[in-house]
Amino acid sequence: MEQIILAFITGLTTGGLSCLAVQGSLLAGSLARQIEQDLLPASAARGAQALSRPNTVLPILLFLLAKLIVYTLLGALLGLVGSFLTLDPIARAALMIGIGIFMVGNGLRMFDVHPIFRYFAIEPPRFIRRFIRRRATGRTDWFAPLFLGALTVLIPCGVTQAVMAAALGTGSPIAGAALMFAFTLGASPLFFLVAYLATELGARLQAYFLRFVAAVVLLLGLVTIENGLNLLGSPLSLANLTTSLRAAGEVSAQPAAVAAPGADRSAAAAVTLELRVLNNGYSPQVLRAPANQPVTLALVTSNTYSCARDFVIPALKYYRLLPETGRVTVQIPPQRPGTVLRFACSMGMYTGRILFEG
Amino acid sequence: MIKKQFRVEDMHCANCALRLESLEDRLPGIVSIEASYRKGLLTVAFDEAAVSEAQIVAAVERLGYTARPM
Repeated sequence: MEQIILAFITGLTTGGLSCLAVQGSLLAGSLARQIEQDLLPASAARGAQALSRPNTVLPILLFLLAKLIVYTLLGALLGLVGSFLTLDPIARAALMIGIGIFMVGNGLRMFDVHPIFRYFAIEPPRFIRRFIRRRATGRTDWFAPLFLGALTVLIPCGVTQAVMAAALGTGSPIAGAALMFAFTLGASPLFFLVAYLATELGARLQAYFLRFVAAVVLLLGLVTIENGLNLLGSPLSLANLTTSLRAAGEVSAQPAAVAAPGADRSAAAAVTLELRVLNNGYSPQVLRAPANQPVTLALVTSNTYSCARDFVIPALKYYRLLPETGRVTVQIPPQRPGTVLRFACSMGMYTGRILFEG
Repeated sequence: MIKKQFRVEDMHCANCALRLESLEDRLPGIVSIEASYRKGLLTVAFDEAAVSEAQIVAAVERLGYTARPM
């Protein structure tokens, strides 16, 4: 249940904007009826202007409804697939970095930094564009928004993909569907608001507003890349760089974990490091361990509901969903002096590392 | 029928391409239009006897864009 609430909040806070950046062009297509209004001959257009502006609320709502339905079905499918396989964290990291680059590219495109960034925009194929246009001129105004809303399933945004991975991880069609439903529902108000304002604001205000959206998309893209790098255990991520800098000036975070000098090899195998897995990350963030001997890492959770309990050690290809409360141990094979073993949550949001010292 | 390309630099999203392509249904003499936001290009196939290049440029301008023949 907590995961579903979290998915809803994620949708509510970031999902709407990031989805709009990726799927905005499809929504624009669903507002094609407006386009027809724009194209009325000058005399007729004057008459049309006397009437109220074309209603954009209904197409946007229909678009979001279709999106909600297809993503819920997708969640069910992912949950079903997830009951057969698990997504490798490294593959997930690569996916996140790819999506992050796509989002940054879209942010720069929206800022009109250089025409090259236009290649980050997804244009529906010509036959779909023509189909939408033709349908929009008919009486079935509801068709284009519904059809295009359903098509969004083909271009999920970065945040959506993260939730899709979580849906896969549930291993249950019902839980997967509930997760995707909660997320898509959560993303809908912001998606609606941005889309509505984008069509209703005056040109000047719209330019400011779209710049704001571009800035948020750019930021979300950078965060997604950062999370992907964390999940890969890359030392180049901002979190790992700052942890390294902080650690350089600190005394050992957990000196007690180091085996007593003179202890023989078999006794050293009993060296245990304890890592508290909290709702807001890991404590301590830096652990120190003796090199050249096996180490046991004890992961302790206590009412932990955040993604911190989706624990990953990329270098060891270790991945485990920890219990909400409990203690799970990981056997770490002997490491050479100077080795840095990084760990993270499966979203790459929370990080930490173990330093092996000779 | 001839085919001509126009550079339209001021498209700012894929929706602009959709708007420009709708000229296909509105402007007599147009056989087909393909607009690419990515390339900033408008490719128009038209019947010279029914519509001129200048009329196409003017129609694009009415939509709020600038078309430059290539």
